[in-house]
Amino acid sequence: MDIDLTVKTVTKKFQDFTAVDGVSFDIARGHFFSILGPSGCGKTTLLRMIAGFDNPDAGEIEIRGENVLGLPPNKRPVNMVFQHLALFPMMNVAENVAFGLRRRGEKDKSRLSARVSAMLQRVGLQGFETKQIGQLSGGQQQRVAIARSLVLEPAVLLLDEPLGALDLKLREHMKVELKKLQSEVGTTFMYITHDQSEALVMSDYIAVMNRGKFEQIDTPSNLYNRPQTPFVARFVGDNNSWSGTIRERNHDRMTVETDDGHRFRVRKTSSASPGAAVELFLRPEAILIQPDPGLKEINRFSVVVRSILFDGASSRLLVSPLHSSRELIVSLPQNRQFDHIKPADQLEIGWSEAAGITFEQTEPLP
Amino acid sequence: MNKHIRWGFYIFLLPVLLWLVLLIVLPHIDLLIMSFRSENDLGELTWGVSNYGEFFNESIYWLTFVRTAAFSLLVTVITLVIGLPVAFYITKIAAVKYKGPLTVLVLLPFWVSELVRVYGWMILLRESGVINHLLLKMGILHTPVEMLYNDATMIMGLVYTTMLFMVVPLISVLDSLDSEMIEAAFDLGANSISTLFKIIIPYATPGIVSGSIVVFMLTLGNYLTPNILGGKNSLWFTEQIYNQFIASFNWNQGSAFGFLLLALSSAIIWAGLKLTKQDLKQVVQ
Repeated sequence: MDIDLTVKTVTKKFQDFTAVDGVSFDIARGHFFSILGPSGCGKTTLLRMIAGFDNPDAGEIEIRGENVLGLPPNKRPVNMVFQHLALFPMMNVAENVAFGLRRRGEKDKSRLSARVSAMLQRVGLQGFETKQIGQLSGGQQQRVAIARSLVLEPAVLLLDEPLGALDLKLREHMKVELKKLQSEVGTTFMYITHDQSEALVMSDYIAVMNRGKFEQIDTPSNLYNRPQTPFVARFVGDNNSWSGTIRERNHDRMTVETDDGHRFRVRKTSSASPGAAVELFLRPEAILIQPDPGLKEINRFSVVVRSILFDGASSRLLVSPLHSSRELIVSLPQNRQFDHIKPADQLEIGWSEAAGITFEQTEPLP
Repeated sequence: MNKHIRWGFYIFLLPVLLWLVLLIVLPHIDLLIMSFRSENDLGELTWGVSNYGEFFNESIYWLTFVRTAAFSLLVTVITLVIGLPVAFYITKIAAVKYKGPLTVLVLLPFWVSELVRVYGWMILLRESGVINHLLLKMGILHTPVEMLYNDATMIMGLVYTTMLFMVVPLISVLDSLDSEMIEAAFDLGANSISTLFKIIIPYATPGIVSGSIVVFMLTLGNYLTPNILGGKNSLWFTEQIYNQFIASFNWNQGSAFGFLLLALSSAIIWAGLKLTKQDLKQVVQ
């Protein structure tokens, strides 16, 4: 498999703050690769180093096998879609798209306009050539920004949270559009976002970034189902979490006593011995409401319903274990089976012993 | 309620109207009438265009006129060439915390009257001035050189006097230029020169045009700086007007010259707006 972008132990410091700390990864040709992280985690700095606007203090960046360090942005075979798009307001749509081609020395008018029109057609803007930027909607401006970069056929298209400024409905729509466009043109995309749903929906691979380091590089479903660090478990999707202590271990199960007094049986992970502190994570959809008494290997306990958070298909229950103020989120399937549940009701809930994820606690929780 | 607002509107409008009518419109109507009247051989005032005819017959008048226009354009261009990098540095390159202090530094000389500033130049440049003194001390010159009363000094003085009026509109227009746009241009393969001519200058055109209009008009109508720094050789058209009014006491001739200057500045600004495809209303904003 061809590799379009290689980043090797890249580090960038601003005074005594390390923005990017020894990050390494490869992106294979044609992949949609996302970097997901909270704001301030260093993802934009990393992107700017790849585009050439910043220089790393250490490490290497290779694009299609060529070392690009020291090359200015206008000499690198990558193009960027900026956070605020940065379209040129004094030019019309066609001039914006033709800007890069002209800089490459393409002078032939008919060839230029043919390439511009073909590109605009590709992003669904045929006939928009003479429109001014101010006349376009947010979604259309988005497409012009992408067309302007894609027309240069970059090795990697860098996207810096370009959907951030759009309203929710349009953002949902553009997510699907962007994924479709990427698979049509086959260009390698590197996408930066703090919105996990954008990353999960569009990406082939996601790197979760925190405090300048990569926590995990994986497929979206692996990140969600098999997080490798507590940060990933907490950041990707919703999770209920407990801290607790291992009490017993036997062949493939161990018993964890949580700090609010529950005893849960979970899958045995790593080599943690009894007495070790662990963090336990549980997805809202892994919790069953009133589980069938016949089901085996279920951790059962009683809770009081605090409130019902109705949100269509992603409705939830907010519950608290008896005699506890801890709040848990439980998925509430909208199949009318649980319509009788009201706030202050007492319920039994349970979860499969295989569903919990535990990590040995290395540092105290904030 | 509505009536109150209307009364308030008229009360605030009144000073503006009074100012416009009493100090601008009425004097100009009077000057216009005067410019079309002249004395005949019998010493009686008659109607006619002889004042304007005089301007075209005497070559010294229209040569001064052309010279003033050409030098004003030159001053405008020089101010722009110096002002654009200054404004770009203040808005885009300097750290945010220095933006205010740097703008104040540009403003600072204008807290002093033009007369004092021009005399400052005289202290520096005259034969017994500071620069000559230093050059003599350092042994670069053996006899002092008169640096005043030539065209170069006059142009330098005019550029210095009008610089602020170019820099301020440029700062305000470049302030709104998102730095991402410059980065985007580089990212799409542009170099510094094509970014300047394809992105920065087109974006800043409204500011450039409004700055240029103000600088051009101020230079064209300036009397003090050309007269003091250029001396008797400056041949600035405002001096011809002054001479007609004060020295020759020929107000009719002076009025005609005044209107010719007004027509000239209007024509050149109109041409400039057409050339840059700008709208006066937009530029003034």
